[in-house]
Amino acid sequence: MENRNTLLLTAMFTPALVVFTAFFLLPLARLAVESSLGPSGVGIYIAAITTPRYLETLGYTVFLSASVTLVTLVVSGVSGVFLARNEFRGRSLLVSLLTFPLAFPGVVVGFMIILLAGRQGLIGDITGCLFGAKVVLAYSMTGLFLGYLYFSIPRTITTLMASAEKLDRSLEEAARSLGASPWRVTRDVLIPALVPGLISSGAICFATSMGAFGTAFTLATHIDVLPIVIYTEFTLMANIAMAAALSIFLGAITWAALSVARAVAGNTVAAAG
Amino acid sequence: MKRRFSPAFTAQLGLTLAVCGFLIVPVVQSVVAGLTENFMVGVKSGLTLRWFVKVWGLYRETIALSILIGLACLACALVLGVPAAYAMVKRQNRLTRLFEELLVTPLAVPGLAIALALIVHYGAFTAFRRSWAFILAGHVIFTLPFMVRSVIAIMHAIRLKDLEEGAASLGAGFGRRFVQIVIPNAVPGILAGALMVFTLSIGEFNLTWMLHTPQTKTLPVGLADSYASMRLEIGSAYTIVFFLMIIPLLVAMQWVAKPRPRTFVMEAIAPATALPDRRAVFPSAADRSDEPVTGSGTALRLQGCAKTFADGTRALEPFDLSVEAGETVVILGPSGCGKTTLLRIIAGLESPDPGGRVYFGGEDVTEVPIERRNVGMVFQSYALFPNMTVAENIAYGLKVRGVDTARRNRRVSQMLEMMKIGELRNRPIEQLSGGQKQRVALARAIAIRPRVLLLDEPLTALDAKLRDALRVEIDGLLRSLGITAIYVTHDQAEAMALGDRIVVMNIARVAQVGTPREIYFAPRTRFVAEFIGTINRLKGRVQGGRLILPGGSLPLPERVRGPADGEIELFFRPEHARLVDPGQGGLQATVAASFFMGDRTRLLLEGAAEGGLTIETAGNRCFRKGQRVEVVVEPDALLRLDA
Repeated sequence: MENRNTLLLTAMFTPALVVFTAFFLLPLARLAVESSLGPSGVGIYIAAITTPRYLETLGYTVFLSASVTLVTLVVSGVSGVFLARNEFRGRSLLVSLLTFPLAFPGVVVGFMIILLAGRQGLIGDITGCLFGAKVVLAYSMTGLFLGYLYFSIPRTITTLMASAEKLDRSLEEAARSLGASPWRVTRDVLIPALVPGLISSGAICFATSMGAFGTAFTLATHIDVLPIVIYTEFTLMANIAMAAALSIFLGAITWAALSVARAVAGNTVAAAG
Repeated sequence: MKRRFSPAFTAQLGLTLAVCGFLIVPVVQSVVAGLTENFMVGVKSGLTLRWFVKVWGLYRETIALSILIGLACLACALVLGVPAAYAMVKRQNRLTRLFEELLVTPLAVPGLAIALALIVHYGAFTAFRRSWAFILAGHVIFTLPFMVRSVIAIMHAIRLKDLEEGAASLGAGFGRRFVQIVIPNAVPGILAGALMVFTLSIGEFNLTWMLHTPQTKTLPVGLADSYASMRLEIGSAYTIVFFLMIIPLLVAMQWVAKPRPRTFVMEAIAPATALPDRRAVFPSAADRSDEPVTGSGTALRLQGCAKTFADGTRALEPFDLSVEAGETVVILGPSGCGKTTLLRIIAGLESPDPGGRVYFGGEDVTEVPIERRNVGMVFQSYALFPNMTVAENIAYGLKVRGVDTARRNRRVSQMLEMMKIGELRNRPIEQLSGGQKQRVALARAIAIRPRVLLLDEPLTALDAKLRDALRVEIDGLLRSLGITAIYVTHDQAEAMALGDRIVVMNIARVAQVGTPREIYFAPRTRFVAEFIGTINRLKGRVQGGRLILPGGSLPLPERVRGPADGEIELFFRPEHARLVDPGQGGLQATVAASFFMGDRTRLLLEGAAEGGLTIETAGNRCFRKGQRVEVVVEPDALLRLDA
């Protein structure tokens, strides 16, 4: 029976493996091969990190993603724990509103930022009325920063709320019974207990920001972030080898970020979007 | 309550509201913009629905295509993902683990890179490149991990292994188990995965933008177009359409994820009423029905059954055992001694190492899988199917065997009556108390008229009082049914009460086989003696037919004296010693502690023998610590034991 079941299980597993290989593993391998078929061969990777334009873009993207991650974690951490710990009227409505943008694709997020901080946006109108000069943030690095925040906060809040709900409250009660002040309880018990959740959702936030294309595509006409550069290399310059090489760089960075988080936090970490 | 308005609370609430504003204000703006005549002028310009008409005219095909791709993607994720997840949970080997790792990579690799790879690899296949199937391929790769992970998570959460073994013990084969047990119980996970997949597919942009052609534009692609080229109002109206599409999906997701309140069920059956008058119940149940309650049990024989696990651990040394038809054998041992492995070999859930054979009657069933062995099995976790009612659980084994509905219903009624749970017939499993679940599990196992009934620590999950009551009930049941039963437990009281014979096990091997009395009064080893009840050790020197101890000396019968004078160790049970008045030649001791236990008092004595003694005396006497007493040990009760 063992053998027959093994056979059946293998059969159940095979279609997924075939599709996965055909539409993911093989194409990615092909992409890697393609990157070295340009005029400079494997040297394209050296070119990619030595060309100032690409290097600068890479730096921008990493810096932007890292700062978005940091701000997202602080904001979502505070709000997530707050929502998990307090019961008040309107709480469930607040949670619903906070998680509504969860399913927005990057383009919609971009549009939201245009409405908020674009040429005809709310911030522009308010500053226009107050100071006589419209402040337009949407089409700059700041706009991108806001967009990535908009994209990341709902996801991170949901995750951190879930981890805060799972925490053993008796640990905090024990700390308080031993005389710890609320601040000390937060520092010594609450934050350490949240660390795995913070690391994993931080890694996801970083990885999605690195690879986010839709938001940048809608907003950033003049800002070079890596996904946009890859897109322009491919579609406008037809420099397939460089686009492939840069994509592999990008994939390697996000994959590494998630792997490190997984190794440190120990649970399954995955990006979305 | 005061804490609620503390500065900390206010600050956190403030931050949360600010974040909420940041997220929701543009949503409101877009809704307003999509409904107003002219966004620049504002609501003053008047409200209109004409932008929606425009959107319908311009983009209805993108909406239709997105739904089409979303549904196709969902179908693919279900067909590919659910069986694959099941296989990965069941078969943990290098290939499945590698695949599990690989499955996460599409989540780590940016959509742009995946899209580029697809274009580079398949771009030459023009027909495929130009069709929406090309976008579908990308979406399937991107969403499949979510489905697989969601299904894997639920399969780990529902004790799938127990449920499947339960179904197999009732005769269900691979396909039937997958369709009737695995899928129905994984529904919440599958549903959550399905909603996720569909929502992700509808909103996917990163991949889709690269993969789309002018003929294959999806909703997000259309959105990007509308933002880039059209009036803000049209973009806004289109965004509202998108909101309207995802809101039901988000609501459904929240509903699926909401933890269901677990019903807490009181133990309704008080121990007194739980004791059926079995002489009245069982024979009459058998008389009234046209069918006997059970078929007579089969003899069982194990021959040289050993078990070595893949990692090289020896769970069981070669093991022989013969069980007569109708006999109840209890396998007793500490946890990890191999008793459950032994039971699983008898059941057919594990196969013995090559050379071991299992016989039911004269038939060699070693190669027969559990679903065709016709055994009844009661699991420690009960393994009742949560997707079925009490009656459906009990009937399941009969249904698998193709018994017609009328006979099935009769048998279920008979079982319900026998277990005194008639009123639970149509209850869902989650509304049962532990004791009720235990009864249902027994009824389900007995309903199929098994050749052998196997019980794996069936009472361990219950509290003490209920355990005692059910133990008496199971005893009555096994005797009146005359069924061959193997009962695994680590509880010596259960073993004593239930077993015709007891097999005491210690680390992968048999320590002793015998009737409860033999095991208790004539344990063969120290392990057996110490595992069952309490035993005292007397270590001393033999001199002139007496054992010399710190507290005095004892006369030794010939039987335990040994060939020559020298050091020996003898053992006796607490009840084989009594306190005597001073000066009667007993061992001198002082009371170290006394425990009043109602009918008797247990005394720990020191000074009489090395390591102290435990003895029992009548409950009505009081002792204080340090009191001097004199103890006499019955010479006939002294035992010599191998180490």
